[in-house]
Amino acid sequence: MDEIKVMDEQKRNEILNRPVEHDTTQYIVTQLGGEQYGIDIKYISNIIRMTKITRVPKVSNYIKGVINVRGVVIPTISLRLKMGLPEDVISKKTRIIILTLEQHESIGVLVDEVKEVVTLDEEHIERMGYEKDDKERFLSGVGKSDGKLISLLDITSVLAEVVDA
Amino acid sequence: MDTSQYLDIFLDESKEHLQNLSDQIMELEQNPENMDTINEIFRAAHSLKGMAGTMGYKRMQTLTHDMENVFSEVRNGTFKVQPGMIDVLFKCLDALEEYVNNIQQTTEEGTNDNQELIDALNSILKNNGELQPSGAAPQPEISAASVAEEPVANAASGDKKEIWRDIKLNDTERMLVEKAHSEELHAYGLTVYVEEACVLKAARAFLVFKALEKLGEIIVSSPTAQDIEDEKFELTFSLVFISGNTRDEVVAAVKSVSEIEEVFCDEYVLPAAEPEKAAEPEKTEEKPAEEKKTAAAPAAAPAPAAPAAPAAANKPAAKPAAKPVVNRTVRVDIEKLDNLMNLVSELIIAKNSLISATASDGSKGDNGSVNEQIEYLESVTTNLHESVMKVRMVPIESVVAKFPRMIRDLSKKLGKKMELYMTGEDTELDRTVVDEIGDPLMHMLRNSADHGLEPNDVRVANGKPEVGSIFLDAYQDGNNVVIEVRDDGAGINVEAVKNKAIERGTITPEQADTMSDKEIIDLLFLPSFSTAKKVSDVSGRGVGLDVVKSKIESLSGEVEVKNRFGEGSSWIIRLPLTLAIIQALMVVVGDEKYAIALGSIQTIEDVSPDDIKLVQAKEVIHIRGTVIPIIRLNKVLDMEPRADEEDKNLTVIIVKKGDKLAGLVVDELIGQQEVVIKSMGKYIKVPKIISGATILGNGEVALILDTNALF
Repeated sequence: MDEIKVMDEQKRNEILNRPVEHDTTQYIVTQLGGEQYGIDIKYISNIIRMTKITRVPKVSNYIKGVINVRGVVIPTISLRLKMGLPEDVISKKTRIIILTLEQHESIGVLVDEVKEVVTLDEEHIERMGYEKDDKERFLSGVGKSDGKLISLLDITSVLAEVVDA
Repeated sequence: MDTSQYLDIFLDESKEHLQNLSDQIMELEQNPENMDTINEIFRAAHSLKGMAGTMGYKRMQTLTHDMENVFSEVRNGTFKVQPGMIDVLFKCLDALEEYVNNIQQTTEEGTNDNQELIDALNSILKNNGELQPSGAAPQPEISAASVAEEPVANAASGDKKEIWRDIKLNDTERMLVEKAHSEELHAYGLTVYVEEACVLKAARAFLVFKALEKLGEIIVSSPTAQDIEDEKFELTFSLVFISGNTRDEVVAAVKSVSEIEEVFCDEYVLPAAEPEKAAEPEKTEEKPAEEKKTAAAPAAAPAPAAPAAPAAANKPAAKPAAKPVVNRTVRVDIEKLDNLMNLVSELIIAKNSLISATASDGSKGDNGSVNEQIEYLESVTTNLHESVMKVRMVPIESVVAKFPRMIRDLSKKLGKKMELYMTGEDTELDRTVVDEIGDPLMHMLRNSADHGLEPNDVRVANGKPEVGSIFLDAYQDGNNVVIEVRDDGAGINVEAVKNKAIERGTITPEQADTMSDKEIIDLLFLPSFSTAKKVSDVSGRGVGLDVVKSKIESLSGEVEVKNRFGEGSSWIIRLPLTLAIIQALMVVVGDEKYAIALGSIQTIEDVSPDDIKLVQAKEVIHIRGTVIPIIRLNKVLDMEPRADEEDKNLTVIIVKKGDKLAGLVVDELIGQQEVVIKSMGKYIKVPKIISGATILGNGEVALILDTNALF
């Protein structure tokens, strides 16, 4: 939760004072390798620092194990391995984002770094075509913010595959 | 306050009565002459009728009423119990159960009148116990019999008194009465007697109040309205009531509520002051609108103007004889208990962290008194946990009680004679387990009845008693509860299973040759496997045993089959007593901590590497005359062995599953600890060897090993 403080005061006020428009979505921008990925804020229930992850034997390699978040055991996956990127390098900036989908339970997602919160207008999002390659099948689109490109993660499809696996 | 708040009680009690009826009718089938049974049936039917009437379930009331009529005649000795009658009665029970289920789901009883059953009952009545299905449809004489209105009780009779005369009014109440008199309204004193057999007295009283509030205003009641609502009264309560209606109308209104035995009503005369008797007897239209007391609750359905008289006429039923001794109990929502259980779990985790915190802190001087307090805390939390567990335990009786009836029906349907013998119905299990265990047990009993027992003639030819026996035994065995379903039938034909499996392509003939009988029997638990040649509606659709197995496993239990071909088979279900908190041994494998349930651990051995022998390329050890296979946990858990410990002694934990043993090699032992089992969520398909996770004192998660999966 401390991570929200990463945002500077000015930006936070800017977000808070911005009039709510119906076709805007807030994303938390995370760093994975050299790219930035946005996760829809509505799925995020918590962001915690790296903690001890208990390995679970005989599961897919991208499932890192389980963690204890306030007395609840939550499975944690590596977004890097899921996206076909190289194995995570744990640093001081590594964070676990706790996602909670409706009806489902919580799941933790390991990311290199949590950068900021952006609000994207629908017109600044370029939706993906149907033909997605292996890495892109988890993306719902690409957003532009301050001249940067942010790949927007389609969390439901990432997690749907975890459930099936 | 309206009747819906009684719905839960109504449902619970209806189910109890239905189960009681079912048991008693079974009993009656054996001993048609037993007066106690007949009386008990009569009582149960009567209570059901009354309850259904109060709640406004007319169809249910009508059906129970007719059942009651039949029993009333049996009791009076008009006719005797006949087999055909028993069948009709069971059908009635099914119909009643359907009503109750409908009510539970929709609060409506449904629209099925079950006229056939009512006709059948009436025909029994008419023909002195003989059921004549071809007989002309008897006229619905229910109402005729019941509408016969009781003469209004004018004078106080016998020991019943007009208690209302003892009611003392305070000044305000007096003024109200005086005002009423001056407005040419009547003030009545009423004393209402509820039937002794009445189950929902407060509901009855409420309906009386409701009925009276339509006619006027209740000034005072004795006992107080609150006490009446809380059922803090015996069989009677008294009121002072102001109304513009006549006395007869008031009495009729009260009598429209069922299970009211007597109503005494007269003009209320102010004791001290000169009574101003209202001269005009009837002035109904004068009732001022504001007199109508604004009902606090959304108006409940008015008391069904159901015929109340027959209930009163059959008063002997209310004999309090053979009333079971009732423990003082509180009904608690299971969710509240779950919540309590979670809190206890949290407390235990907190206690564990306290222990680990002081242990790591131990070097800093004297911790004696802290340790003492922690030990005390530990004993309190352990006791607390046990108490909460006990609260959640219920006897399996509630589930197994319906089985004798089921076997009886199966016996008729399959045309095989069989008996069910049950023991250990009072064995207790966690409520959640008990709720789930019914279906699997039913499947297994059906299996025994259908596949297990041979037809009667075959049995006789094989020199067995003609009547087949099925046994259901439940007992506690350590930390487990064992439920055993056994029959003295043909047993499982292993060859037939083998052939079927080969035919279906489940296994190849070569595989079949190498498989043990036990392995072949285990094939029965695969989905869509049934050896029954005929598909009946009893069993044989192949959806039985695999469901049984997965259900039991989801309750962390296991199923085992013991088979003696030609002599019968027994199916043994083993269930853990508790699901949430277990005593576990914490061990270290590699650099990871794991918990192993203490219940499955036999011994812990220190084994020299030289003692490990190879049998068929598998490692075994020889301990006290038993050869035990060795399982290296680091291999099972995909870990590299610790490098430096090649020739050190091994720590081997001997675990058991049924009568098999295995030795688990671990790197270190930490010690015994109470662990709280936590679910790992849906996102991980947990491997079978992991049965759950737990949170350690330092906040880390440790996995719990399911040693049963290693065999």
